Amino acid sequence: MDIAFSPELEAFRREVAEFLDTAPTPEIREAGRKTTSVFAPFEAVMAWHKLLHARGWAAPAWPKQYGGTGWSVEQRYIFAEEYWRCDLPPLLPNGLQMVGPLLMELGSEEQKAKYLPGILAGEDYWTQGYSEPGAGSDLAALQCSAVADGDDYIINGQKIWTTLAHKANRMFMLVRTSTDGKKQQGISFLLLDRVDYPGMEIRPIIGLDGIPEQCEVFFDNVRVPQSARVGAENDGWSVAKALLKHERGGSANSPAMYRRLETIRAAASGAPSPHGGTLLDDPVFQRDLGELEAEVAAYAAFEKLVISRHPMAADPSIPSMNKVISSELTQRISVVMTRVAGVEALPLQHEALTVGSNVAPLGSDLELVAMPYYLNSRATTIYAGTNEVQRDLIARTLPTA
Amino acid sequence: MDFTFTAEQEMLRDSLGKLLAQGYTFEQRKAIVRGDHAHSALIWNQLGEMGLLALPFAERNGGLGGSASDLVAISELLGRHLVVEPYAGSIVLGGGALALGGDAVRPLLDAVIAGTALVALAHEERHGIGTPSLLQTTLHDTAGTLQLTGEKRLVLAGAEAKALIVSARAGDRLALVKVDPTASGVTIADYTMIDGRRAATVRFADVAVAPADVLCADAAEPLQQIIATATLALCAEAVGAMAALLEMTSAYAGTRKQFGTPIGAFQVIAHRLADMKIAYTKAHALLLYTTALAETGAAAARDIALLKAQAGRLGRSIGESAVQIHGGIGMTDELPVGHYLKRILAVETMLGSTEYHLRLIGSSGQ
Repeated sequence: MDIAFSPELEAFRREVAEFLDTAPTPEIREAGRKTTSVFAPFEAVMAWHKLLHARGWAAPAWPKQYGGTGWSVEQRYIFAEEYWRCDLPPLLPNGLQMVGPLLMELGSEEQKAKYLPGILAGEDYWTQGYSEPGAGSDLAALQCSAVADGDDYIINGQKIWTTLAHKANRMFMLVRTSTDGKKQQGISFLLLDRVDYPGMEIRPIIGLDGIPEQCEVFFDNVRVPQSARVGAENDGWSVAKALLKHERGGSANSPAMYRRLETIRAAASGAPSPHGGTLLDDPVFQRDLGELEAEVAAYAAFEKLVISRHPMAADPSIPSMNKVISSELTQRISVVMTRVAGVEALPLQHEALTVGSNVAPLGSDLELVAMPYYLNSRATTIYAGTNEVQRDLIARTLPTA
Repeated sequence: MDFTFTAEQEMLRDSLGKLLAQGYTFEQRKAIVRGDHAHSALIWNQLGEMGLLALPFAERNGGLGGSASDLVAISELLGRHLVVEPYAGSIVLGGGALALGGDAVRPLLDAVIAGTALVALAHEERHGIGTPSLLQTTLHDTAGTLQLTGEKRLVLAGAEAKALIVSARAGDRLALVKVDPTASGVTIADYTMIDGRRAATVRFADVAVAPADVLCADAAEPLQQIIATATLALCAEAVGAMAALLEMTSAYAGTRKQFGTPIGAFQVIAHRLADMKIAYTKAHALLLYTTALAETGAAAARDIALLKAQAGRLGRSIGESAVQIHGGIGMTDELPVGHYLKRILAVETMLGSTEYHLRLIGSSGQ
């Protein structure tokens, strides 16, 4: 076993810290403090993406040949630790973590050349068109259809939970190209160059947190070129499954959680307990905070074992376990944040939460974000395959006699 | 970063696993627990022949200078096979404390390593001790004689030990003293623990202590280190027990039929099994991570507390789920399931309970 960081890595940490301490604009830092979702405030985070790209650090996990950093797993973890120490907004995941790696694996040379540079540079934002009103956890039940017409497809139907579609310029989606055979067999994977094709309509959905993060997208005889397809026609299900697989390289979510815990601890040291004294001196709060920290520590150990390629990382249920652990931990952290904020979590503060509004929050930053973060985090156990579906998948990997 | 065992450690695990699979079956273990002794001399000798009794001791003390990961590598298997022999008690805790005594105690330490003597650390008090400064046992000077007064609980292998190493407050310091269990004023009441180990309540009524038997007059730090090492070993036992429970419970759910179908096909059961696997994975990951920290001397008291708390709470949830999924048969003494639960409960309760450690973590800063 070996865990020590070398002097070279500590020098790398200083190099990263220096850049992250100086490069972000005030607006980007404000967006980091006001991030209440996986999806950070759009305009500011895209500006930050471009700055990171200029430094060559937009895609720590990408291979070097596609413009990634070529960093070791230790370097990637250090980068994540320093990133969160600075409260910076996380880059949007759709391009860098989803469609980008997918194209590297299954895209044509032409598709790679056309799309990867825009993803890397932060010029494009890709919204994900998977779910439909009748196809959530049972995704293969999707009905939005694409019918071949010459060199084109004609798309008709509806997508929902297309995150930030109203801010997007591109979209990747699953469509039904055949109704023959098993429902998984007639699905194709398409890349849309635009989200303003004639016949496309995008309607934002206001979420529990009062923020229009999700959208519905309607397709009425929308004509797209067949060259937009990734993989073979009717083979989109295996393309979608390949996309999911890209999580398996390992995540570095726990540094962000540790940062939240620090914020909670600092706020609790000044927050009055209804029993008198501070919340941090309250034995019940201490015990609950201890349990939360122990859970984050276990998750951090899990992430480190996975990124260091411990034999455990070969278990086929690792992506599902990662999803369940991280999403449920995110929710628990958000609960404790609202607990620290107390009644100060109850005022609606949409304007103060908007980047660049110049409206001061009523209280602290934690009190401003606690409730929107809690409400938004309810989605973490629903999206990307509900945790019920993930538990089905985990149970299937257990040996039965 | 590398959290794997070395090839040598894997070989050692392989040999120990084979030895226990053949010579320490569930039935053989039952006979040992029912017997008069705290342990099987046969198995103890075999562990000695494999070098395990010498493993954790420094080479200057006649040991093999084993590392934290060596200890975890074998302790995981001791838990997996529900071993009741006092490895944590006499080697890690008792032996670790005895070794502080230097050359004067070397003959006894040699005997411990040779497997011909046991020693015990008498530390727990009342309903379980967390913070050492709250110890009530005292070492005091009465008319020029050092005397030990107090009562120790859950002294592992206490009745079989050739020597008791006792933690006691001496003024504003913490001392470790060696006491002959046959000395005047020492009373020992021993019992079998729920997990099959032997332990004892030991009372010290003004027991005279020779100055030479004060092994360490300022023992707060070394004692904390010994307890940290023992905690790592016991948590490894608990994780080994969790692995066994996960395997046997998922296998059972795949074969046990009710309503005409294997119960594992019911989603409530499948999800409970999934939660067991998640809990095991978290406990296993934290064990290996903490071991790697300890290996480089970087494991702080807080890191040990995190592991102890998680091994306890995750282990308990796995154990309780295992009993529930097995149903009525899981309630019987005949099946190993309940014995694994009881091993986990014993680990959870000693050396500071889960709740003690959780509050310690929450109140102590990151």
